Amino acid sequence: MAINLKTSSVETREQRLGTIIGWDGAASSLAEESAFSRGDCASCGSSRGAKARRVCELQGPFTQGSVCSEQMVECQAGNVRDAVLVQHSPIGCGAGQVIYNSIYRNGLAMRGLPVQNIRFVSTNLRERDMVYGGAEKLDRAIRAAFDRHRPNAIFIATSCASGIIGDDVESVARACEADLGVPVIPLHCEGFKSKHWSTGFDATQHGILRQIVRRNPTRKQDDLINVINLWGTDVFTPMLKELGLRVNYVVDMATVEELAQMSEAAATVSFCYTLGTYLAAALEQDYGVPQVKAPQPYGFAGTDAWLRELARVTGREALAEDYIAREHARVKPLLAALRPKLKGLKGYVATGSAYAHGMVGVLRELDVEVDGSLVFHHDPVYDSEDPRQDSLGHLVETYGDVKHFTVGNRQQYQFYNLLQRVKPDFIIIRHNGLAPLAARLGIPAIPLGDEHHALGYQGMVNLGESILAVLQHRKFHQDIAGRVRLPYKASWLAEPDPFALARLATV
Amino acid sequence: MAILALKQRSADLAPEPDSSGPIELVRYICAIGALQSAAAIPRVVPITHCGPGCTDKAYMNVAFYNGFQGTGWGGGPVTPSTNASQREVIFGGADRLRELIESTLTVLDGDLFVVLTGCIPDLVGDDVGSVVRDFQKRGVPIVYAETGGFRGNNFTGHEAVVQAIIEQHLGPDAGERKAGLVNLWSLLPYQNTFWRGDLEEIKRLLEGIGLKVNVLFGPDSAGISEWRDIPRAAFNLVLSPWLGLSTAKLLEKRYGQPWLHIPVVPIGARQSTAFLREVAAFAGLPSAPVEDFIAREEARYYNYIDGFTDFYSEYWWGLPAKFAVIGDSAYNLALTKFLVTQLGLIPARQIVTEDPPDEHREAIRAQFRAIDHDVSVEVEFDEDSFVIHDKIRSTDFGQKPPIIFGTTWERDLVKELKGTLVEVGFPASYEVVLSRSYVGYRGALALLERIYTTVVSRSA
Repeated sequence: MAINLKTSSVETREQRLGTIIGWDGAASSLAEESAFSRGDCASCGSSRGAKARRVCELQGPFTQGSVCSEQMVECQAGNVRDAVLVQHSPIGCGAGQVIYNSIYRNGLAMRGLPVQNIRFVSTNLRERDMVYGGAEKLDRAIRAAFDRHRPNAIFIATSCASGIIGDDVESVARACEADLGVPVIPLHCEGFKSKHWSTGFDATQHGILRQIVRRNPTRKQDDLINVINLWGTDVFTPMLKELGLRVNYVVDMATVEELAQMSEAAATVSFCYTLGTYLAAALEQDYGVPQVKAPQPYGFAGTDAWLRELARVTGREALAEDYIAREHARVKPLLAALRPKLKGLKGYVATGSAYAHGMVGVLRELDVEVDGSLVFHHDPVYDSEDPRQDSLGHLVETYGDVKHFTVGNRQQYQFYNLLQRVKPDFIIIRHNGLAPLAARLGIPAIPLGDEHHALGYQGMVNLGESILAVLQHRKFHQDIAGRVRLPYKASWLAEPDPFALARLATV
Repeated sequence: MAILALKQRSADLAPEPDSSGPIELVRYICAIGALQSAAAIPRVVPITHCGPGCTDKAYMNVAFYNGFQGTGWGGGPVTPSTNASQREVIFGGADRLRELIESTLTVLDGDLFVVLTGCIPDLVGDDVGSVVRDFQKRGVPIVYAETGGFRGNNFTGHEAVVQAIIEQHLGPDAGERKAGLVNLWSLLPYQNTFWRGDLEEIKRLLEGIGLKVNVLFGPDSAGISEWRDIPRAAFNLVLSPWLGLSTAKLLEKRYGQPWLHIPVVPIGARQSTAFLREVAAFAGLPSAPVEDFIAREEARYYNYIDGFTDFYSEYWWGLPAKFAVIGDSAYNLALTKFLVTQLGLIPARQIVTEDPPDEHREAIRAQFRAIDHDVSVEVEFDEDSFVIHDKIRSTDFGQKPPIIFGTTWERDLVKELKGTLVEVGFPASYEVVLSRSYVGYRGALALLERIYTTVVSRSA
């Protein structure tokens, strides 16, 4: 299935990949039901007339507030250092300026870049704009953004409101682009359009591919690697240096020029296929920049395979073998010292989808038991459709099954039952809203704000040390656990099946 | 997508284009942010009918990255939400809302449920009222408020939620009044970073002079039973420049309750004492116990101020002389009054940022003009941080580095000005706030500690 960069809107994940947000069972079953294991992808799903693969999905009547695509646009396009994000929306969507400012500032500081506020401008749509349209306000906001900041690009995030009233964002953007002489890039991310927020990553990347990436590069940078990431610490530069490669971090905290030069790079990698699937596949398809098709760089098996494939693509096999050998020798004694301290502990991973596959692997490397994991969605296939990127399959084959593998869109009420089912000693988490519940049950959380923390060989050591540190927090959590009440009914707290309501609804 | 007809509104829209322009670095959010006002009442659970991101945005930014306050019993990630999708946009979301409410009752334990609408149902015209009324008829404790993002901000959303509870959940009959019971309408929960500690201190002061207080929000509230007691109160106290006035007027109309409006939230002994005397006079309290309480509080307060005097008169390395406040009218007025009248600082710029309704602006201006017998301040109203920062840059702070009372947005600006920043409002992403209060007698001492610790810690 080809990525279509000709249309202005990105295809949603559910359309492209068959993404689901409700599922419960063994990881091996989900891997089996997903498209990678079915061989010829074109045949499955097509019988139903659908483009994407289908996995049976659990849907219930009760849902708690989730996350929308526009938020992912904020955290990607909004963090491009010399661009401005215009939010075409009522002021409430602008709330995200607060969280992503904090993350942006702290991310800049971690990378040693000058700390500054994010640059978001809300068009501030009001009631009369709902009747008369908001195009004029959008035009004003774009021009204000340009006059104020002289950015090298302006992104526009749409909203539920602007989508429903049908504002012609494209025309306004084209007119402004012609006048201002910098790319003005509409990112279509109305919250209601996709059931999962990860479509917002794709919306950002779609816009960058269409309007920023250099179309006919005159030079090729043979040692430049696109690294699709967020705001994590710079662990890729020292690692790729060993292979004689330079890092081009995208999208967060990149400059517009760094985004433009993606088409000149030797390859594309990412720390997480959920985040990187669209951009990497499109760079390969439309610009001939190969994406590294290997397990993700977590644990020995994943990191070895990932480095070898990167080395193969860039012709640096000998350097990679030397580096791998040295790192194994360096890290193995450190892990040998950690494992006895961690043995017998139970961990639980609740993160984005592909990232969780990596984290479970790292925990297993550390001899930590993992009986359960919650991922916020599941893509039955990534855009490459290449089975070498089957991160869930890699997990099951390399480290064995995960008995209670759950797909749920950050639903706190289910998280209670999920934790009761496996009773972990600690959880690993990204995304807000779940760790506080675990805390009230006496379970400490390792919140991975720095997404690179557990990556590669050193990542195993890092995570092991973080686990030992957070176990000390149990004192705090167990103290509070006996003293708080949860807002759920006793009948729900006694329910062993987190999907009881969904199953009732489908009977 | 086709343009859909807006639901019938009682008020006519202004035919002329409004003057609202782009806003950079927001200082308030949209009306559905008031889901955290519902959550600020113990054991009350908001239910949001909106897109999938609205709830998260409202609480993560207003409750988390604003002092890291926590989210309350039913707020934050507990909040049930329809997470409205394409289907609800095209076919309407009333059935989905009904399904959500029904299932909420089986999962969540709450004394009252408050349905709040977002842009989607308000634009496609879902009849949320009829859905909620069906549940009300069944005896379910539930109300609804229209809080679509384009309708207003979280201040007006707060008033909509408060009025929804009064009109849809409280009976029409006032019953017998309880002497000495007062309903307190003051700071906006969560938006004001220090609201919990502040309400606790205000309640302590009012109880100190012999009143009983329906504080209504926060850990000191008894929850919905206290709300049911609202009609029994002897009077309503609106302690803010404008927020709560429309509620007091509603209660006057509905129950014939009188109300007292004190625009300045008291900080420090002078204001706190004046505040207590004014309330006591309105409530007709006997003077002796009131004065006894004031005397005790002042004695404690000035004992500490006496100690502070050494520092304030003798610190060698310079203290700021001029200040600016960028914030909601309530805290802006309260701080300015305290800093001018108690510390003798010089106000250089005061910018009110919550977009108060036009009809209240003249009264706010008047309050600032009468800050002290010898100090008059021309307050400005701005919401766009780019404009605000330009104004601060062009302000004459004299030779000494200024002190700015503002938000996280001012961090870069204050570095540029080589001044000092005290984060006192939304968003305060670099403050952890538990029970800290900056108001009353006790809060003023905490505020002084905060201001001068910040100043002193920067000096070497």
